[in-house]
Amino acid sequence: MQDLLYFSQQLINGLTIGSAYALIAIGYTMVYGIIGMINFAHGEIYMIGAYTALIAITGLTALGLAWLPLILVVALLCAMLVSSSMGWAVERVAYRPVRGRHRLIPLISAIGMSIFLQNYVHLAQGSRNVGFPALIEGGFNFSADGAFEMSLSYMQITIFVTTLICMTVLSLFISRSRTGRACRAVSQDLGMASLLGIDTNRIISATFIIGAALAAVAGLLLGMYYGSIDPLFGFIAGLKAFTAAVLGGIGSIPGAMLGGLILGVAESMTSGYLSGEYKDVVSFGLLILILLFKPTGLLGKPEVEKI
Amino acid sequence: MTTSLKKLVTAVSASVALMGAGHAAADIQIGIAGPMTGPVAQYGDMQFSGARMAIERINANGGVMGEKLVAVEYDDVCDPKQAVTVANRLVNDGVRYVIGHLCSSSTQPASDIYEDEGILMVTPASTSPEITERGYELIFRTIGLDSMQGPVAGNYIASQNPKRVAVIHDKQQYGEGIATAVRDTLKDKGIEIAMFEGVTAGDKDFSSLVTKLKQADVDYVYFGGYHPELGLILRQARQANLNAKFMGPEGVGNKDINTIAGEASEGLLVTLPPSFDEKAENQSLVQAFEAKGEDPSGPFVLTSYAAVQLVADGIEAAKSKDPFDVAAALRSGSFETPIGTVQYDKAGDMKSFEFVVYEWHSDGSKTPVN
Repeated sequence: MQDLLYFSQQLINGLTIGSAYALIAIGYTMVYGIIGMINFAHGEIYMIGAYTALIAITGLTALGLAWLPLILVVALLCAMLVSSSMGWAVERVAYRPVRGRHRLIPLISAIGMSIFLQNYVHLAQGSRNVGFPALIEGGFNFSADGAFEMSLSYMQITIFVTTLICMTVLSLFISRSRTGRACRAVSQDLGMASLLGIDTNRIISATFIIGAALAAVAGLLLGMYYGSIDPLFGFIAGLKAFTAAVLGGIGSIPGAMLGGLILGVAESMTSGYLSGEYKDVVSFGLLILILLFKPTGLLGKPEVEKI
Repeated sequence: MTTSLKKLVTAVSASVALMGAGHAAADIQIGIAGPMTGPVAQYGDMQFSGARMAIERINANGGVMGEKLVAVEYDDVCDPKQAVTVANRLVNDGVRYVIGHLCSSSTQPASDIYEDEGILMVTPASTSPEITERGYELIFRTIGLDSMQGPVAGNYIASQNPKRVAVIHDKQQYGEGIATAVRDTLKDKGIEIAMFEGVTAGDKDFSSLVTKLKQADVDYVYFGGYHPELGLILRQARQANLNAKFMGPEGVGNKDINTIAGEASEGLLVTLPPSFDEKAENQSLVQAFEAKGEDPSGPFVLTSYAAVQLVADGIEAAKSKDPFDVAAALRSGSFETPIGTVQYDKAGDMKSFEFVVYEWHSDGSKTPVN
């Protein structure tokens, strides 16, 4: 019983962090699916989302607002707005002018953008860790015989539920809406889609905006969950989310969700049963194994050579 | 537009070049190398504030051998790779005395370069024993060693009769070094070490670690590392209802841990150098800091002040500006500084340095334990 509780606790920890990875991974996978480039600045967009949310929360609290749901919703909207405009601007400034060139060029441009945004936040917000207020506290505790207590915090529940809602809305949007259909068409064949009258530039902008908005959601959630943010924390999260996207099959949206969850659980199980030192070894080792034995990822479609 | 910008750039670079030339002519340059930015910049602030104050006061008293001291500041972000770049830049700039670096993992590779290039280095903060273990001639410090700090922490925990202790570290030279010293002290005392494990510096999610600590049912947790990680561990441990007493080295003892951990930082135990700013003989110096709006109570402010002063006193005692002569003078003399009377052994370590156990409070204040 004891062991089961411990296992469940690690599973909860892993799923929490995994669902946040999945939210960030969506941005990588959608952009790759549509224009075949890796947006390395995406981790920074997530970090900027977290900062914006923190600024909004601090501002609203200073204004004397005390009703928690309102604070959270306003902070979330602010973060999504700022991150989306950032995502849109990054594409417009750094990727569109070099689109269609050799594939290394947009990649280098993306890395440059990532360094630029990181340093911009360093300058604007300072390089120190900033504490993030714990707005959602408390949770459920379960214990069998008193010794080990399993806890499921309201914050973790919030992360699961929000992720679930975002993923459902995104799936509906992609499968049902007109823009979603256009997105799928562009990802199948960009040239053909544009011949058929789809404004591909608009669709590409839309993918960046959607990805950035989801990253902002993850920024607010993880900021509250961890308790502190700094200008560098987007980098590692971005790397992990990228791994999750590749694991699940880059270009595939359900793949990003699955990849995120697998990665999160693998990390927490490694920390829980082996040692925290091996966490990154296992998660990136997993990536190498997948790339060796199933290069398209778990749910990725094999590339068909077009003649 | 473009031309005027070019003119401006030319003018600025010309004046910078002139300024540089001016310094090189008659003054003694003191390099200050430490983190101005990055996750541990708070400690860098202490270092720069202390060193600048010392330079100001020494110059106000007529300088060293009739020459003014001039600060040249370098940012190493507490990153070993950048520390090497900074060290090479110092060499190129012709600086012959360095106050720094701060993080042991930066000081170690930089000190290789200083020793090779004949530059005298005094670190006000690096406590890793390896730095002075290599028989170098020009490497000194104004702080104690982990091999002194670790046992102080270990003995304190042992004196509280804990059932089971976990020792965690951040896998860096400083953190792992001190955690190992604590673990060995505890083992010698026959205390059970339930866990000895590393975390990744810069990581944010410690929920798995906290779960593991709960499972291991420990009543003391020692963390070797810096405040960004410990702050998050404290906060996440509190959310998960882990009831254990936490303890850390001087790398966690600053007010940033309160902004990260909030209430959870109450009761944290920290080993720190004694509060030099509370000594009676330092009060005029403390007032000078306060007049500038700076806080002299940080653990590395007065050690940095002392480091600059030792370089100045060393030059005076040696009656030479050659770093090797100054090093010899520092080893043979005895110097009065704000951190007490300093005498050096052959390795470049102070003959005595004391660490004190403090209890940290959630408002950023600290009280000595017993």
